[in-house]
Amino acid sequence: MSTIERVSQWSHRIFNTTTNEQNVRRSSNPFAQSNFQKNILMEDVFESSKKDVSFTGGISQGTKRIYSTFVGSINDFGKKFYDGIESIKEFGLRMKDGIVGALNKIREIGNTEIHLGEGLKNGYNAVKSVLATDMGKFFNTREKQVAAMAKLDPHTQVKPLLSNAIKALEEELTVAA
Amino acid sequence: MITTINKTTKTYNRVSDIIDSLTINPNPDAVTVLEEIGTNSSIDEVREMTAKALVKRNEPNSLSVVISHRGKGVNDMSTVVAMSTINCLLSLEDKEEAMKVLENTISNEGIEEDVRENARSVKALMALS
Repeated sequence: MSTIERVSQWSHRIFNTTTNEQNVRRSSNPFAQSNFQKNILMEDVFESSKKDVSFTGGISQGTKRIYSTFVGSINDFGKKFYDGIESIKEFGLRMKDGIVGALNKIREIGNTEIHLGEGLKNGYNAVKSVLATDMGKFFNTREKQVAAMAKLDPHTQVKPLLSNAIKALEEELTVAA
Repeated sequence: MITTINKTTKTYNRVSDIIDSLTINPNPDAVTVLEEIGTNSSIDEVREMTAKALVKRNEPNSLSVVISHRGKGVNDMSTVVAMSTINCLLSLEDKEEAMKVLENTISNEGIEEDVRENARSVKALMALS
């Protein structure tokens, strides 16, 4: 394995955490999809067109190739770093949204003003109303009274009751008149 | 003098309940009590309730009270009571007993003519219904 390939793998290990990250778009950077996605730059990218000015000195072609690979990696690292920042930024935004949403929910709950005493009171009233309705249906006192009176002896028991009731009704009418 | 009665008072409901109980009382003496107390009341509403109770019992002796007796049931001096009793007779599901009592009343020469005339009219209405 050549030195270039080793450096490339090394830089790839450092800056490429997962292969899936390539498919996830995390920024609006127009250079994200550029040719610099490759880890290796063309070897003569940083070679000056002016031959009289040379920064390389006595660096050999092979060394230059290694450096260019490393620089390409650094360039890629910049993109990764930017993407990472973008990820952190988006994560932060999501967290913010989540927290804001949670706060809103808490505020909504707070606005309903749930109090234990009031809840118990409401529950008691609800149960009371249900029971009152059902009691009215199933325990009609008037019907029960009529059924009970129907079992009494007409002459000895019901006759006096009827006489007294009619007398009371006549008195009511007299008073009203 | 008051001619109308408040049908929502406790006393009125009490009278109504007692008469209702006598309507469903299986004892035949209930008819006697209704006739003695209810049909002789000075209050029209009480007489009306009593007449209805006697018709609802749908027995020969109870129907006889409202059909064959002067001043009671269909022969009541109050038009409201008389008409209410006739309506109750017409709404009976089983009219067999009522028709027998009406025929007996019409054919009984010992009964006053106006009572027999009323019975004939009621019988004609029942035949049409």
